[in-house]
Formats: sequence, C-alpha cells, structure tokens
Amino acid sequence: MNAAIIFILLILLMLTGMPISIALGLTVLSFLFLMTDVPIDAVALKLFSGIEKFEIMAIPFFILAGNFLTHGGVARRMINFATSMVGHWHGGLALAGVLACALFAAVSGSSPATVVAIGSIILPAMVRQGYPKAFGAGVITTSGALGILIPPSIVMVMYSVTTNTSVGQLFMAGVVPGLMLAFLLGLTTWYLARKHNYPRMPKASWSERWVTFRKSVWGLMLIVVVMGGIYSGKFTPTEAAAMSAVYAFFIAVFVYKDLKLSQIPKVLLDSASLSAMLLYIITNAMLFSFLMTSEQIPQAMAAWITGQGMGVVAFLLMTNIVLLVAGNFMEPSSIVLILAPILFPVAMTLGIDPVHFGILIVVNMEVGMCHPPVGLNLYVASGITKMGISELTVAVLPWLCTMLAFLVLVTFVPQISLWLPNLIYK
Amino acid sequence: MKFLDHLEEWLIATLLGAATLVVFMAVLHRYLSGLDIPVMQDFLISLNTSWAQELCVIMGVWMAKFGAAYGVRTGIHVGVDVAINRLDARWRARFIVIGLLAGALFTATVGALGANMMLHTSPDQTSEVMELPMRYVYLCLPLGSWLMCFRFLQVLVAFMRTGELPQHDHAYVEGLDEEIADAGKGATP
Repeated sequence: MNAAIIFILLILLMLTGMPISIALGLTVLSFLFLMTDVPIDAVALKLFSGIEKFEIMAIPFFILAGNFLTHGGVARRMINFATSMVGHWHGGLALAGVLACALFAAVSGSSPATVVAIGSIILPAMVRQGYPKAFGAGVITTSGALGILIPPSIVMVMYSVTTNTSVGQLFMAGVVPGLMLAFLLGLTTWYLARKHNYPRMPKASWSERWVTFRKSVWGLMLIVVVMGGIYSGKFTPTEAAAMSAVYAFFIAVFVYKDLKLSQIPKVLLDSASLSAMLLYIITNAMLFSFLMTSEQIPQAMAAWITGQGMGVVAFLLMTNIVLLVAGNFMEPSSIVLILAPILFPVAMTLGIDPVHFGILIVVNMEVGMCHPPVGLNLYVASGITKMGISELTVAVLPWLCTMLAFLVLVTFVPQISLWLPNLIYK
Repeated sequence: MKFLDHLEEWLIATLLGAATLVVFMAVLHRYLSGLDIPVMQDFLISLNTSWAQELCVIMGVWMAKFGAAYGVRTGIHVGVDVAINRLDARWRARFIVIGLLAGALFTATVGALGANMMLHTSPDQTSEVMELPMRYVYLCLPLGSWLMCFRFLQVLVAFMRTGELPQHDHAYVEGLDEEIADAGKGATP
C-alpha cells in the first residue's frame, strides 16, 4: 500500500516535468511528513552524508578528465586513426565511424557529445563519398552510446555507489562486452555496406597508420591510466579518476595544445556544474532509497517476486523490460539511481552476480539512449543531421536490432561480463 | 547580482580544481616517499597527507551544493518533459511554473532543515582527521539550498516575463567548428 502511494506520488511529480532530483526529494519529504513519524530532521543529515564518500568523488574527476578531451581536435585524431585502420574494408568510412565513436566515447565519457563530435565531422564526409544520409546517421547514433560500457564509465560508478559493488570489477567487466558490441555494430555496418556496395577507401600504409596512431595515442592513454592504475592496485578508482583528470589537462594543454590556459576555468566550471547536477540526483536518490528501505519495499518486492515462482530468467527478462521502458523517459544516471536499489536486492536473493547485473543494466541504458521516442542520442543526431525523429528511428533500426540481440546475449550469458574480472580478481 | 553570479562560478570551479590537485598531490606524495632518495625521502615521510581524502570529500560536497544552484541558472537539471511537451502552450507554461515553485519549495525546506541541523550541532563536534568544526562544514547545506531556492525564483520570474527557460546544451563540443570548417575545405576525411 505504502509502496503504491510512494510510486504514484513520484510518477505524478515527475510527469509535471520538474527536475527528477526535486521530484525524488519532494516525494520523500511529503511522505515522511504526512504518513510517518520519522523525524524530518533525519533528512538533513542524509543530504550531507549521502554524498560524503570518497568513492563518489570519482564522478566529478572523471567528468573533468572527459571534458578536457571532449574537443573537436581529439575527435578528428580518433577519426583519422580509425580511418587508417579500417577504411579499406567495405563501408570503410562508416566502420571508421564505429571505431572512432568507441574510442572518443570512452575518453570523453559523454554519449551525446560523441554523437555530435564524431557525427559532425564524419557524416558530411560520408555523404560526399555517396553514402545515404540515413546510413551514416544510424551508425553514429548507435555507436555513440558505446561510451557508457567502455571504462571509465560514470554510470558504472553510480551503480557501484548505490549497490556497494566494486568499481574496479565493474570496469573490468565492461571491457569484453564493450569490445564485443563495438565489433557487432561494425559487423552490421560491414554487412549492410557490402550488400549495398558502399565505397571503400584506399588502404593506408603502415607508416600512415603509425602517424595517426601516434597522434591519437595520448588521448587513448587516458583509458590505460585508469585501467592500469586500478588493475595494478596503484590507485583506488577515485585516485585513478583524479590522476586521469590531471593527465587529461596536461595532454589537452601541453601536448595537443587544443586548449589555452585561459580556457581552463570554463572547463572547470562546466565540469563542476555537470557533476553537481549528478551529485544532486545522487543525494536525493539516496534519500529515496532510505525511504524505500525504511518502508522495507525492496524486501517486500523480493518476497513477492520469489512468491510468484519467478526464476532468474523471468526476473532478468522483467528487469530488461522495466529498464527499457524507463529508458524512454529518463537519462541513464537517474534510472540507475532510482531502480538499482529496488532491483538489486531481488537480484541478490535470486543469486545473480552483482557485477553481471550491473553490466546488464548498463547495456540496457545504452539501448535506451538510441531507441524512440526520447533516446537522447536520437535527439542529438536529429539536431546535426536535420532528420526527423521518425526518419531516424527507421535509420537506426538495423543497429538497434543488433543491440537488442546483444542485450539478450549479455543477460543470459553472464560469462561475457564475468570472464575478465574473474580472471583478474579471483 | 553580477557579483553573486561570479562568486558562485568562481567558487565551484576552484573547489573542483583544488579537490583534483589535493588528491593528485596525495598520490604523488605516496609514491615519491617510497623512493629511496636521501633527505627528500625523510622530508616527504615527515609530511602527513592523511587529511587529503577528507578535504577532498568536503570540497566535493560544497561544490555539489553550490554547483546545484548554479545549475538551476543554466538549466542543467532536467526532468521528464515528454508529457508536458504534448500539452498546449498555456497548460505547458502552468506546469513549468508548478515545477519551478516545487523546486523553490523543496530547496527552501531543505535549507531550513540544514540550518536547523547546523544550529543543533555541538560546536565541539569536529571532523575526524582535520578536526574542522562540523558546524561550519554543514554551512553548505543552508547556504547552498537557499541559494538554489533563490535561483529557482529567479528563473521563475524570468519565465513569467519572457516565457523563456535557460537551456543547457548537453552535446556541446569545444573546438568542433574549426574541425568542421577544415573538413569542409576538402581535406581528407
């Protein structure tokens, strides 16, 4: 009963279009105030202690690192490198788009920024080479979502702080599925390109490849700093994030010279404001999950679901559907923060591995960014291609189907996610 | 007003930059003091950096509270707008006003709760490592929240007057225009 009131209240508040964080906070305040004897003073302390964790500070640092390298110049270097590697195959430039998206998204950490950065440079070139516009738009819209699966990933940090799962293990677990999905998206592109006989580019020589690699490697080293640091145990994830921010600053200002020192305050301000927004959702989501726990809703859900005789397969299927639906309305971080605390206890009762469950959620979020009606990547791509949402929906269909098939694979084959972390940590 | 805007921007940018540097220094210190270099090693070991994590977290929380207020001004806090975007303009405007008022109400309440908590925190209660008085550490709760409340009201007034809301562009990429211009000149893609 209480659970129903809480959720209806939350949904009603959200539908008015107010910020998600405010809707969460108001739900908690009004429920505590009207329906329970829990002193609201407890709320105040939670607002502070909710984000008073060193682990959470990884989020602003990763955002800062990403923002230093979210630059047209970096995108161009990644595209050149990708083109020199795969340009001579069928649909060369489109394949290069997939690869460049994967690389840029991993470094910048933002899916919409990836779509814009890679898309604005590569799409006009594709059109000039004679590709249909819809083909290019489909490739870039879907590949741009790869970033949240390839570490460092902020959505994974969010999952880790709400469920106390190890960030290091999640990052490791993201590597194989990330590469696999990039490969599958590439394969789809290649198949379609061969079928329609889209242009190939002249094969680059190894010396050209070496030159483009050398130029893009400084940005790519960011992933190495993070993963190597965490893997070797030299840094904690938060320390790795701070190191990568300093590294990214150094590369952007002194090596690539994309940024002038005078632009640094603006990068800091933008990163601080984006992180503060996410941290504000985290605080209020923590309030919300405090309310859920005090009303024992996750336990009740777990009991209900096991009582229905729902097995692992049925539960995972249900989770996928719930997340895909939620993906229609909210962006990934909010979904993870609101739904993970509810679904996670059930998953644990059913004996699902926490890391596998996290990867499943992240892949879901990726799909959610590219499917209609309100996938963020679709909107951004619609902005740069001047194509309507319904037109784009048709355009992304082949890749979206690939992603959905991949989602099923990741859901029911835990080894894809767990193989690498198990190899390293066990 | 301009002064307040600048102070806010300056504060959060500085806090983020400083927090990054503090963690960077602490890590550097940990590894350098492991190197066997006479004098420098002794000197480095004599420095204590156990406060770094605590300072970083406190700066992070302060950044979050004031940054959230700045975010209202730039329109970065997004909600679920599928439903209201389908309404006609008059009803949409009404819901936007409701949303902004709800934001102001929530932040005002939270600010009051924070102030209350701050006043009821004993002046002797200090943070674990740096022994900062918690009372003043908590100051970010009322100040940040009330500033955020003020920003919501400011946006509301502007919306009533002009019908416009601040819009944050989540997909802005620095330095992209030059690259597009270069590519357009026929350089190899």
